[in-house]
Amino acid sequence: MQTSSRLVKWLISAPPLAFLLIFFAAPSLIMIFTSFRLPGEFGGLAPVHILPGNASEDSGLTIETYRFFFSDFIYFEIFLKSFTVAALTTVICIAMAYPLALLIARSGKKFRNLMIMLVVLPFASNFLIRIYAWMIILGPESALSHMINNVLAVFGMAPVTLLFSPFAVLIGMIYVHLPFMILPLYTNLEKHDPILLDAAQDLGANRWQRFRYVTWPQSLPGIFSGSALVFIPVLGMFAIPDILGGTGDIMIGNLIKDQFLGTRDWPFGSTLSIMLTLAVLCIAGLFSWLAKPVTRIT
Amino acid sequence: MIDPLPRWVRLSLALFFALAAGCAPQQDDAMHDQAAARILQLFNWNNYIAPETIERFEAQCDCHVEQDYFSDNEEMLAKLAAGATGYDLIVPTGNALDTLIRQGVLIPLDKALLPNLKNIHPAYLKTRFDPDNRYSVPYAYTLTLLGFNTSKMRELDLPVDTWAVIFEPEYLQKIKGRVTVLDSPRELMAAALLYLGYAANDQDEAHWNQAKELIIRAKPYWAAFSNTSYIREIAIGDLWVVHGYSNDLFQAALDAQKTGRHFTIDYAIPKQGAVMSLDSMVLHKSGKHTDLAHQFINFMLDGRNSAELTNLIGSGNPNRDAKSFIKPELVHNKVIFPDEDTLSRLEMITDLDHKQRRVLSRMWTEIKLR
Repeated sequence: MQTSSRLVKWLISAPPLAFLLIFFAAPSLIMIFTSFRLPGEFGGLAPVHILPGNASEDSGLTIETYRFFFSDFIYFEIFLKSFTVAALTTVICIAMAYPLALLIARSGKKFRNLMIMLVVLPFASNFLIRIYAWMIILGPESALSHMINNVLAVFGMAPVTLLFSPFAVLIGMIYVHLPFMILPLYTNLEKHDPILLDAAQDLGANRWQRFRYVTWPQSLPGIFSGSALVFIPVLGMFAIPDILGGTGDIMIGNLIKDQFLGTRDWPFGSTLSIMLTLAVLCIAGLFSWLAKPVTRIT
Repeated sequence: MIDPLPRWVRLSLALFFALAAGCAPQQDDAMHDQAAARILQLFNWNNYIAPETIERFEAQCDCHVEQDYFSDNEEMLAKLAAGATGYDLIVPTGNALDTLIRQGVLIPLDKALLPNLKNIHPAYLKTRFDPDNRYSVPYAYTLTLLGFNTSKMRELDLPVDTWAVIFEPEYLQKIKGRVTVLDSPRELMAAALLYLGYAANDQDEAHWNQAKELIIRAKPYWAAFSNTSYIREIAIGDLWVVHGYSNDLFQAALDAQKTGRHFTIDYAIPKQGAVMSLDSMVLHKSGKHTDLAHQFINFMLDGRNSAELTNLIGSGNPNRDAKSFIKPELVHNKVIFPDEDTLSRLEMITDLDHKQRRVLSRMWTEIKLR
């Protein structure tokens, strides 16, 4: 009996396990291997050539790429910058998503589904098209730009450009990732027992105290899972800085992409990816560690 | 030539599909073999041949031309490296041609089958990539130069024949936020090196550093690094000066004209010189119809057929015989038919080795970060 249930457990978990092995572990190992190679003359494909066995000439592995990475503060700076953008996006997403998720969770069942559908609706159109749309909205000749600059002119301030700026990147990041914050927050808030709020009120807690001591602590797991869903993708994002960013808006994702498609330096691209993966794992670990004690309360 | 997808999307897609279906052309080939006996597999840039040219060739040779497209040399090389085969003819740019030759995947040309080769201006033959034109014959080219909004330049009294306009703060302050440069380390460094009086292919790291400093000084005035979106942005008047490709700017100028803007877009070769990307026709070893491919090359070396492409996309034309078939408004265009003096100032970019690529990439990162 016990053995068969264990067998079933294994059978059920085998496909996802295999999936992870094939699509996470194997590529990661290839990447680690690649990071110890030197780039080939004709580009990134050189590392593949050693597999058939012409190992004689230069099968030698090297830590040259890692030395290159650590020899320069500049790559650390890019990591720092990407983390800042990711953190900022996450915080703003929390601030924007919380009231909305609360509103949805506390409205009638009929509206709830409608509103959730509206939150998810943007996914119906392609991500890149939505980003290109922001190019038009933020462009220097757009209605929005004209309006903002007219208002600024009234106060005697210099006109601003919205597109191709860190601001545009942030807007794009928030716009794309907001639903990933709203949905987990909503699923969390929706489960709260309203009786707790009544009890708090009976005990004399005012509106703010009810939120601070009842709703907020219970919602922390939702915030943490939403934050992970926003923070980690933003960290690796390169399309938005590419399209909406200005001359200084490079992120770690852009740098990695460029190593593979532009510079043809697969080893360095792999090294950067490994560093990013390590950083993300640390962050994910931190989030799950933060989320843990709170889950025990609920 | 306006391509709605950024380069990385195309490249990733290409890599993905190439890996997924490396042998697709072969299957196509087999299918069509039953329908038409002879079929020419052409691996060409997007929108890089006029449809009527293809039709005429098909009628003349009693064959069928099948095209596959790429939008980037890297994409083409990646597809080939991933195992795509069956291409008779490919149209790579100089440095990619260099790679293909060194990889040994090209078939030497039989010059006896190419009598029209005499039409090519000697300036475009014997390039450093293929000194004897053993493997390649010039097809068309693009220049990397400055595009501008003519009305704005006149209004602001800015010069249009010098790289100074995108590098010198004295000019840039008048057009702050209305300038983009290419998001390409090689192209932008080449422009900076040319402006500093060095060769576009200069590989001295000290000179690179000077160019880097020049770029970092000018950067605050630029709106963005842009490879494709500038075409639309300059055509609608958002941008006033761009560092871009002649074919794209030809398109932008046409767009501005067609939509009845109150300004015109023009482009010019800076006096310090510019980068030329010469695309050549080559025969790939995996092709099955070498005879047909030669026939096609000779056909494209005919002035009329070469002119058709220029009339369509404004490409630079290496064919001396093409002038009489060119639209009258393009005949005096120096970008399409440069004079001797201009020609001497055009340079083709060579490939860098992996150490240099890493150094340049690091500089590029610094440029972006500062």
